[in-house]
Amino acid sequence: MHPQPNAPDPKRFEVSRATLWFDRFMGWAIRFGGIGVIIAVFGIFYFIGKEVVPLFRAADVEPAGKLEAPAAATGVLGIDEWGELPFFYQAGGPVAFRPVAGGDGFELEVPGLEGAEVTATAYDPVHRRVALGLADGRVGSFLVEYARSHGDDAEVSAKVTPEPWFPLKSGAGPVTAVSYGDSGGGRIIVAKRGAGPDATTTVLRLAMKRGLIGAGKLTALGEVEITTELGAEPLILRASQNGSMVLAACANGEIDYFLANGAEVTKRQSFSPFDGEVPRQMDYLFGGVSIIVTGPGGEQEQWSLFRESEDAERMFGLTQTFPPLGDGDVLFAASQRNRTFLTGAGGHLSIRHSTSGKTRWEGEAEIAPAAAVLDGKGEHFLVVSASGEARRYSVEDPHPEAGWKAFFGKVWYEGGSGPVYQWQSTGGSDDFEPKLSLMPLIFGSLKGTAYALLFSVPVALLAAVFSAAFLPLSVKRIVKPTMEIMSSLPSVVLGFLAGLWLAPILETRVPSVMAMLIAVPASALVMGFAWCRLPIRFRNRFANGSEWMMVVPVLALAGWLGWQAGPLIESIFFVYQDPATGREIADFRLWWPQATGLSFEQRNSLVLGFMMGFAVIPVIFTIAEDALSNVPKSLTAASSALGANRWQVVWTVMLPVASSGIFSALMIGFGRAVGETMIMVMATGNTPVTEWNIFNGMRTLSANIAVELPEAPVGSTHYRTLFLGAVVLFLMTFVMNTVAEVLRQRLREKNKIV
Amino acid sequence: MPAQATSTDAASRPDFIQVDQFSFHYGPKQALFDIHMDIPEHQVTALIGPSGCGKSTLLRNLNRMNDLIEGVRHEGDIRIGGTSLYDPSVEVISLRKRVGMVFQKYNPFAKSIYENVVFSLRVAGRGRKTELDETVERALTDAALWDEVKDRLHDSAFGLSGGQQQRLCIARAIANQPEILLMDEPCAALDPLATLRIEDLIIGLKQRYTIVIVTHNMEQATRCSDRTAFLYMGKLVEYGPTLAMFERPKEPQTEAYITGRFS
Ligand SMILES: Nc1ncnc2c1ncn2[C@@H]1O[C@H](COP(=O)(O)OP(=O)(O)O)[C@@H](O)[C@H]1O
Ligand SMILES: [Mg+2]
Repeated sequence: MHPQPNAPDPKRFEVSRATLWFDRFMGWAIRFGGIGVIIAVFGIFYFIGKEVVPLFRAADVEPAGKLEAPAAATGVLGIDEWGELPFFYQAGGPVAFRPVAGGDGFELEVPGLEGAEVTATAYDPVHRRVALGLADGRVGSFLVEYARSHGDDAEVSAKVTPEPWFPLKSGAGPVTAVSYGDSGGGRIIVAKRGAGPDATTTVLRLAMKRGLIGAGKLTALGEVEITTELGAEPLILRASQNGSMVLAACANGEIDYFLANGAEVTKRQSFSPFDGEVPRQMDYLFGGVSIIVTGPGGEQEQWSLFRESEDAERMFGLTQTFPPLGDGDVLFAASQRNRTFLTGAGGHLSIRHSTSGKTRWEGEAEIAPAAAVLDGKGEHFLVVSASGEARRYSVEDPHPEAGWKAFFGKVWYEGGSGPVYQWQSTGGSDDFEPKLSLMPLIFGSLKGTAYALLFSVPVALLAAVFSAAFLPLSVKRIVKPTMEIMSSLPSVVLGFLAGLWLAPILETRVPSVMAMLIAVPASALVMGFAWCRLPIRFRNRFANGSEWMMVVPVLALAGWLGWQAGPLIESIFFVYQDPATGREIADFRLWWPQATGLSFEQRNSLVLGFMMGFAVIPVIFTIAEDALSNVPKSLTAASSALGANRWQVVWTVMLPVASSGIFSALMIGFGRAVGETMIMVMATGNTPVTEWNIFNGMRTLSANIAVELPEAPVGSTHYRTLFLGAVVLFLMTFVMNTVAEVLRQRLREKNKIV
Repeated sequence: MPAQATSTDAASRPDFIQVDQFSFHYGPKQALFDIHMDIPEHQVTALIGPSGCGKSTLLRNLNRMNDLIEGVRHEGDIRIGGTSLYDPSVEVISLRKRVGMVFQKYNPFAKSIYENVVFSLRVAGRGRKTELDETVERALTDAALWDEVKDRLHDSAFGLSGGQQQRLCIARAIANQPEILLMDEPCAALDPLATLRIEDLIIGLKQRYTIVIVTHNMEQATRCSDRTAFLYMGKLVEYGPTLAMFERPKEPQTEAYITGRFS
């Protein structure tokens, strides 16, 4: 049956099932996608946060068991590198080993000590060497050597190896203090004989003589007596671990510093940290360049070797002070990995980090400790009381050098002549101390961004205005997509071009570039001025918007002339005079450092600015051009109809209306410049400098991450600091964008069109 | 020199604007065909015709606003006061100062009322405070807006009603005292009451300005114009005094249009 032609079809108000299903499906798909994005963003935050937060944690110290040491173990306390089998040595007795896992220990006699009376001991935890001084004036040492079997139930075994004895020629009486330094080939032993004003102090030089077969023989090279050079009787004697110097804390409160160099032992410096009072303790930190001294009132200080000025000798100076310790014997154990140390007095213990001056942990020991030792990895420490009770503690402090001050403040690093902002994450030697200030990198990011924007913002904005308001549509149709293609150039290609092609060219043509930078805009201005003076009859022959055809050759000519004029300008203005020979050379590269005192590098901010232009200009141009082109025609028409010329239309109508869009363009350009990595890596020298000099480079946060992340061990301070750099980068752009968005809204509100 | 008119007003030239065999092309599309008409001074001339017939095109050619469009071309000539608009010595900017324009959709700038009115003076580089103040008062008074806005001259122009904004645009167009005022459907976006006020204004303004107005509204044409031109598909079909044309259209197309048989 056919429906009536005009009869209402009841189905006409129904929605088809497929439409409903599709609508529902899309609703859920979009919800899923949206929530997924939010979760992903939070996931990233979580991951980055997880990497960064541990940097700011304090140390965690937990009791980790008890040991029974031999009674009255107040002598030497040492431990193996795995922290499993500590030993206790009491002058004259056997070396007693006690496994931390519990169970019985064992004792080993020191061979060759039979019948001798030990009157002085010292321990060097790096070589695990116990230096001994005997009542008969002999000095010597023995090594405690550990070995570990392989496999699941690995066991640590130990042996005691004696080293040769050397009778001291100078002085008389028992050896009352001894210290041993060992650089591998050459060694020194510093020893004091006797006590009181008559005590003598001697530095004994030893060397490993290579035999034909075997390990060679340790022989004495000679003795240098330093008694007369000391301010008073030495109370603490310390040879540095590498045997290059000797420090003596004397009874008159001064510390004398001797440099041991070949056959000579020369006194370099004498300093008095506590105004004539004798330090209670004096020990080297890891690396042997700094000492920690504790004064009579418990005040603890770090003194380091550094040069006051470029050509001065390295001398000790105060670089750090720590909170005072209490009364009682001062306990000290330096870490073998970094600049932390365990110290304390009167049962109170603290772990301190020398470079930052921070106390990482503080607590009371369960016993009254008389000696302490940190294991090789810094994961445990052991304290022992005078009565032979020992306690073991586990330490969790993977990032002692981290902290707000280390990342954002000035830090006085060991060997430096003052507090600085410095980034140097890796170094050549084991005792290298990483310098992790983010400030040079933040500065680098700002500098790189500033130079990139300095070059690209004027070009991009003027180009956008020109294209939106002056260029005929037919030309614009070619220019705009070309610019957009430019923005899709991979930045690694740009960086490659910058570093390997542009940098060498610009290096020799700086005056040419300067001439071009002046000649090109100047020629445009001159031409505009001349054009206005031409009679209207002549000007009317050219359609509005076709002027670019005349401008382009003029600009090209001006650019070419500028380029050619470079060498001439160089020979007039940039003449370098060789200070040695007085010869004059026209070379900007030499002139710049001489005239300004700043450096000149091939890969510099100028190269960077040019190349970043390729990355940033298209971004700013495209968005700004859109904003300008989208200014309603009704407004531009109204203003032209009121007799405004094209520039006035731009200035009075287009720019205000498009200002918020232009602002967004600048912000996106800024974001692109801050985050840009490959160009920064390849076009700049990547040196973390902190000066605005246009002729050197910088290291940006992003380039730093790209360069160093592959080398940073996962979970290390360095690794986490790189993540912190990422957070800082994010915060920088976030803050900038938020401020910009607020300003943009204001602009928009002000120039809103209803 | 154009011949002196013999009307009561000695200063009024009957052929103040001469559109002489004028054709106009937007690229390949021809929008005007051989338009020939004389527009008298100090009168209101209405352009009527169905959408797309070329009214706006003709109007925009009177101040060369069409020059801003790419690929346009013209034949014939338009003269104002005897001088061709296309004379090589004509500076378009100064032409636009002589010929003001009001658009269909009111389009004040995102500035204060005051700054909107003085815009043409500012772009002409005339920024003396007393001159600006006088101009604002005169132009707003002429545009019958002064009493309504004199207390809030420095408020945003967007705070005004639609009709007020359009009158502000008229004030802005006459601030620099042009000779000719072009209006392209000035009431199209307004309500009937606002429309009436603008029509009164137009009648008042013709003492001093030669007005060419495009309108879709027949009644508006009869109410406020002296002469009417009917365009159809780019051609001038009929042109003459308004009353005569509406009472006795000569052409059948005109009659069909004004009786509403097609729009
Ligand atoms: N910018 C333009 N480009 C191309 N064609 C146009 C343009 N403006 C108007 N036209 C065409 O010219 C003819 C006349 O338009 P217009 O003068 O705006 O008509 P009216 O104002 O009478 O409605 C129309 O066919 C229109 O499509
Ligand atoms: Mg129209």
